[in-house]
Amino acid sequence: MNPLLLAAADKAAGLTARDVFACPTFWALVCGVLGLWFVLPARFRFGNAIGSVLLAIAGGLFAFDLPLLGPRLDQGVFWLLAGVTLAASVCTISSRSPVYCAIWFALSLLGTAGLYLFQGAQFLGVATIVVYAGAIVVTFLFVIMLAQPEGHTMYDRISWGWFPKVFGVVAAGTLVGILTFMLGGLKDASTRPVSADAVAAADQRLQADAGILSDHHMANLGRHLFAEHLVSVEVAGTLLLAALVGAIAIAAYGKQASGGRQPPEGFAARIEEALR
Amino acid sequence: MNETALLYNFLAVGGVLFSLGLVGFLVRRNMIVMFLCAEMMLQGVSISLVGFGRYHNDWGGQMLVVFIITVAACEAGLAMALILMLAQRAGKLDSTTWQDLREEGLPAYVDHEVPEESAADQAWPHLTPAGIEPPIDRDALAHRSRV
Repeated sequence: MNPLLLAAADKAAGLTARDVFACPTFWALVCGVLGLWFVLPARFRFGNAIGSVLLAIAGGLFAFDLPLLGPRLDQGVFWLLAGVTLAASVCTISSRSPVYCAIWFALSLLGTAGLYLFQGAQFLGVATIVVYAGAIVVTFLFVIMLAQPEGHTMYDRISWGWFPKVFGVVAAGTLVGILTFMLGGLKDASTRPVSADAVAAADQRLQADAGILSDHHMANLGRHLFAEHLVSVEVAGTLLLAALVGAIAIAAYGKQASGGRQPPEGFAARIEEALR
Repeated sequence: MNETALLYNFLAVGGVLFSLGLVGFLVRRNMIVMFLCAEMMLQGVSISLVGFGRYHNDWGGQMLVVFIITVAACEAGLAMALILMLAQRAGKLDSTTWQDLREEGLPAYVDHEVPEESAADQAWPHLTPAGIEPPIDRDALAHRSRV
């Protein structure tokens, strides 16, 4: 069985309340859950301000508990990218205009692409920006333009009710808490000192022959994809074709079913009112 | 760089991103924002996959993310077509309009109070007009000036 799982199970057996309260991640999650509840829609007058302060405190506590990467510059760049990604994600789920949500999501995708580049996944970094931020988010914006002619609608300012809000944020906090708890063995392993030869060997491996024939060149992704997973690539291509045909068929059927180019009542009334 | 610490950090960031998408999907009512949050969940998973790929020096993590991007693109195309159809029938993007699809026995969700927009929200920026006022164009009147 997985040694991490066993280590976490052993730790859970001897866990006391004092251990839980002494852990910064626990307080980070509590602050984060409260902050998220304040910041989500149907907030009251100062909800946004209180929520952002609480979320900032939660982010700081959470970052305090993360293991250090080593070189200061790497640590700073990672925190910047992760901070941009997570802050933009919080703004995505809490913004009251759907266009702002889409734009915050595009910023979150930029942060994600930066994180990919940080790890050496250059193709994915660029592909995320080109495909996700460049095509998918633009499609979203077009659909918002076609389907929601006005800005702050009623249903954007409130959420489903108090029950999903409370239990949604509590579930998210619990999920992250369980994740960090299960990964506790990994965090302990990361604080053990690494031998100098291992670091030297890793550095040498990374810097030796950075040409196209080395193991770390990005062309190996294409080789791996088309050599070992060719069937998956073909199936993905067929999926794309099916989605394309399906989307066109849905749009054509929808137009046909609504009897031609008549706009529905809701839209016609709104245009009349705007012209008056 | 400490590779284990890098893995831990990336798994933590991916997990938090996934949870934020989960909260957004459960809480928001706008169909497009719900879909954006689903895409955010996929991004969280992608970050974890790339982290694992780097830690184990395996291209499989990045390969799976390529497939995630592909499937997300297909899903976005189809979802946008469906959402447009639904919005055209209902006139709005609210998922409450389709709540008749809920389970039997569940009470319908009714909006009890709607918060008023504060005056600060409704203050849209005004530009001072410059030059001669042009003749009124009916097409331009139907144009949305705000987002």
